Amino acid sequence: MKLYAVAAFALLTLISCSSDKPPAAATTELAPTGPALSPDEANGATLTGKVAFTGAKPPLSMIDMSANPACERAHKDAPLAAEDIVVNPNGTLKYVFVWVKSGLPANQRWAIPATPVVLDQSGCQYKPHMIGVMTGQNVELRNSDPTNHNIHPQPSLNPEWNDSQAPGGDPKFKTFARQEIMIPVKCNVHPWMRSFIGAVNHPFFAVTGDDGTFTIVGLPPGTYVIQTWHEKFGTVEQTVTVGAKEHKAVDFSYKG
Amino acid sequence: MTPPVKDPVIHSSLSRPLAVSALLLLLALAWSLYDETYSIRPWKSYQSRFAKLYSRFLDQASAGQSELERNLKASPDYRALDSALQQSERESLPAVAAIDRQINQQLAPQILALNEPFQEVRSRIAALTYQLETSRSESAKTDLRRQIDQLKAETRFAALSAQLQSLKDEKARLLQQRVELMRPADALRARRDRYLADRLPGASTATISALRTSLTNFDIRIRQIHVKDVDLVDRCESCHLGAREPVTLTKASMGGEAVFASHPNPELLKLHDPEKFGCTPCHGGNGVAVASVEKAHGANKFWLWPLHAKENIQAGCQQCHAREILTEMAPTLNQGREIYRARGCIACHRYESFDREADEISSVTQQLRSIDQQKSAWTREAALSEAQANDPRTSDEDARKLLAHINDLKLRASLLDAQVDTLDTRSRSLVREVKKTGPSLKEVRAKLRPEWLPVWLKDPRQWREGTKMPSFRLADPEIRAISAFLWQSALAASPPPQAAGDPARGREAFETRGCLACHSLGEGSARQGGNFAANLSRIGEKADYSYLVRWIHNPRQRSAPYCAFEKRDLTAEDYRRHNLPFLFDLDHSRCPNDGHELQVQQMTPMPSLRLSEPEARDIASYLMTRKHDNVAYPDAPYLTDPALKSQGLALVRNYGCANCHEIAGLEEEPRIGTELTREGSKPIDRLDFALLTAQANAEGWLTHKGFFDRKLQNPAIFDTGKEKSAQERLKMPDFHLSKPEIDSVSTFLLGSVDATVPPRYFNTRGQDIADGWWVVAKYNCMGCHQLHPGQSSLLQLLPQYQDADSRDRLPPTLIGEGARVNPAWLLRFLANPALSDTLTDRNGVRPYLRVRMPSFSLSAGEVQKLARFFAALASQAQPFVAAPLDPLTASELTLARQLFASEAAPCLKCHMTGDPKHDARATAPSFALAPDRLQPAWVRRWLLDPALLAPGTAMPSGLFRREGDRFVFAGPTPPAFASYPKDHADLLTRFIFKTR
Repeated sequence: MKLYAVAAFALLTLISCSSDKPPAAATTELAPTGPALSPDEANGATLTGKVAFTGAKPPLSMIDMSANPACERAHKDAPLAAEDIVVNPNGTLKYVFVWVKSGLPANQRWAIPATPVVLDQSGCQYKPHMIGVMTGQNVELRNSDPTNHNIHPQPSLNPEWNDSQAPGGDPKFKTFARQEIMIPVKCNVHPWMRSFIGAVNHPFFAVTGDDGTFTIVGLPPGTYVIQTWHEKFGTVEQTVTVGAKEHKAVDFSYKG
Repeated sequence: MTPPVKDPVIHSSLSRPLAVSALLLLLALAWSLYDETYSIRPWKSYQSRFAKLYSRFLDQASAGQSELERNLKASPDYRALDSALQQSERESLPAVAAIDRQINQQLAPQILALNEPFQEVRSRIAALTYQLETSRSESAKTDLRRQIDQLKAETRFAALSAQLQSLKDEKARLLQQRVELMRPADALRARRDRYLADRLPGASTATISALRTSLTNFDIRIRQIHVKDVDLVDRCESCHLGAREPVTLTKASMGGEAVFASHPNPELLKLHDPEKFGCTPCHGGNGVAVASVEKAHGANKFWLWPLHAKENIQAGCQQCHAREILTEMAPTLNQGREIYRARGCIACHRYESFDREADEISSVTQQLRSIDQQKSAWTREAALSEAQANDPRTSDEDARKLLAHINDLKLRASLLDAQVDTLDTRSRSLVREVKKTGPSLKEVRAKLRPEWLPVWLKDPRQWREGTKMPSFRLADPEIRAISAFLWQSALAASPPPQAAGDPARGREAFETRGCLACHSLGEGSARQGGNFAANLSRIGEKADYSYLVRWIHNPRQRSAPYCAFEKRDLTAEDYRRHNLPFLFDLDHSRCPNDGHELQVQQMTPMPSLRLSEPEARDIASYLMTRKHDNVAYPDAPYLTDPALKSQGLALVRNYGCANCHEIAGLEEEPRIGTELTREGSKPIDRLDFALLTAQANAEGWLTHKGFFDRKLQNPAIFDTGKEKSAQERLKMPDFHLSKPEIDSVSTFLLGSVDATVPPRYFNTRGQDIADGWWVVAKYNCMGCHQLHPGQSSLLQLLPQYQDADSRDRLPPTLIGEGARVNPAWLLRFLANPALSDTLTDRNGVRPYLRVRMPSFSLSAGEVQKLARFFAALASQAQPFVAAPLDPLTASELTLARQLFASEAAPCLKCHMTGDPKHDARATAPSFALAPDRLQPAWVRRWLLDPALLAPGTAMPSGLFRREGDRFVFAGPTPPAFASYPKDHADLLTRFIFKTR
């Protein structure tokens, strides 16, 4: 037994000596320990950027709500367009999820924000269409409509659920325990309703808005892989290195 | 002078021989001691090693476990539970202590003091009573009665008894009170201990320390299981000491000694308690032997049941589970059975219980024949009796008896008539159930391009990867003769020509209708779909378009019906002679010539998807585009050469082609292979290793496993070196099985033995379930449906069903189907999944799904088997009796209607109602079907939490919330509900069923 242990140790040493990097398996399997940190906005780096869209702007696809009078009434003046591809007037792309895919110390715990991220159902539409949330952070689900909705996230790494929410019902609070990019959310009653939730186990993520830009603050100095995710156009990655207090711009681009 | 005689006593010394013998004796003693301890009892050293390793393991485990336990006990949750427990104990302590004091200091001594005199008097009374009962004289009895009364009076027995009883009652009352007082503390203690047990992965420190204590008394002895009624003795645990230990022992944790590892599947062991089943019935080996590992494992010569190799371990299941196609927890064995069934082993090699339809047909025929004999015997007897009754010499009394007897016989015969009716129906339905492994070759002229036939026969696998058709090692002249025979013996009729369809639409239909649950498309890594049926990547190279359209539209349609009685295919002429149209289908299945049941269907499991003819044309047009580019097949003019036909017939017979295919003139061909039902326990000298016997012996594979593995790997292997003519050579074709497939079939064959346990051990529980799996396997229900937890359907795994939306387009799960639907409805649905005789181009329950539940033309017997199968899987009582529902009152009806239609209730947003305009957008089954189709108890459970019954379902959970002991709707309810006190889920359930 002792001999085996010695042999195994020798083998391990050999393996770890033969590569410059520390053995990946050993570090990722370590359970995060130590105090939970929050992004250090004063000393950390700030990443900003914008997600450009090139190519022909796809035509808007209008949602037909005629099956549900309560929904149709909410948009009787202006019919609603699907939000799967939203190209901003400045030629950028809205609803792109941007997050630090790798590069953070694996065994660092990050403080979970106490404030929940709100996902509202209003006008038979998820508002907003895309959210990012930290693993363990509450998502507050609201129903501001006069009709019943059901919230049905379809994750593959987190448990699936499908809850009914009555009009005027109390908000529901849900969390996702594992990192998953992205979790589609649908409403079976109103099949056009679609939202995406990015659950990340650190606080460095953002969603592009009306100007197609994003900002990630408080990043510790280091080299990171930044990934963008779009529901129709897929993912793009870039590697950046930032120093303390550095402001760095990283721009992405999708082609239609 | 003679020399003086030497005195033997003085002069001869025996000390040398004595010393030598003493030495020998000593050596013998030493050797015998050594032999006793080590050689003939090798298990002794195993046991001492085990004790050492196990105690080391327990030391380590206890260290690790107590560390974990300490951490858990330090956690705030545990501490809160623990302090709550202590608080509760403190609160109840004074009262409990008072009770204990009262019991221990007052009641117990008093009861003890009274009990002894009471017992004594009672036994004296009993003795006197016994004397009284057995004494014969009245005076003695009187005297004894008097004595008893006197004794009772003297000892004041009644008062004593009453006092004792009241003390005991008081004690019982106090004890009950104590239990009540301790109840909160006990509940808290259970919660605290559960908290710990739920979070400790292994055994608790308490268990470990108990094990360590027991190990200090470890004695070295034979450990055996003796099952008395079977006379089974298994001493395996003399060495395999860790097998049943309550902690998990692995090879690594036991110093690298696999022999001490725990049984790898405790769940299996729980179902098959070794105290009842022993070890060897499942594992093989020689359970009594302990002299050496080789002997104990039965690896010695002439032992028929050696230990199963790891890859064949599930062979043992077959001992008691022989009549099943699916045995839980035995995936390898199941795979072997499935290969045996589906790849066509069964077509040539009979196997008891696998050949279900043919066996049943012969049993039905046999029963009908014996009923016929019985009836004619009774008719004769009745005639004789009547003659005798009419005879004037018979007395009136006898005549009356005879007439009564005649009536009895008539009644009995009429009972047999009822049985004949049932058997007739069954035999007709059995004709529908028989399927062939391969396609009918009667249709080759209608369906195939002629030049393709010899190319296919040359090497089927080369042309179509993964095909079921094995390779027959045919020489070119043989191929030419067989092709010519098949071509010339086929039917001349061909289906009417069809107009072209739209391949693009056809492709969409092929990919969405569910074809891929059985068929695959694409080759190599591009292959997708099921392997239950053919890969269609090259179908366009061989098929006739019009035939393909007919096949897709109705795969069961034949060009001519076959009459098993006349042993030939009927022609239009046969019908014309009887002035009948040439029409044969399930409603017209009697032979016009002799009334016998005809084979009116192709003997394929492929169902009808009830597609329209245009859609069938579209799909066929798409499939005709599936081919390799620039493939040239050489001309085959010999196909029509009459000289080759008889030569081909001989070859087709020799290779047993008709065992798998329907071939004109060879419908009743016997099987060409040997029966394999008991192949695993066939004496080894009857397995023909031929010229390889010596090699097999030398290399250690002169065993059943050695034979099966090699034969499956290379079916011609035992022809090696033999001088044989073409006809004498081994005929078994090459199935190109992979290593895991060979292991699975070998497992199945190794398990096919004369059982070593008596028949009462055979698994007969769940016969309905076992029967159902056969039907499920036959028609590949699992291609589309989930039938048991942990299983995925084939469609579920296809790439086109991976995104969030497409999952809603899959066929429903059938887990719990027996509890969901009314079996009477299920029978109707399975017989006609369109639920309509006129609107057939649709799904009866889920018309909104593109994927189509096909019509399998199941026989009445198969439909019943499936209904019983689902009921049994869901633990339903049989026969089904619908539970009565409370009728809705008028006000309840109004309430339910309001709730149902309210904006807060989403029911009508997805479910169909029967209104075509509404249903055009619906995505869930119709409420109109519910009363007939569903079971109320299931509907209520479904309303409350559908995700429990079908994870991932589109139906949301949380529609109701608990309020006291009832469920209420979890949203704004119409105002009238304020005064409604009952359960809302129950109200909606009754509303859904209101039409019944």
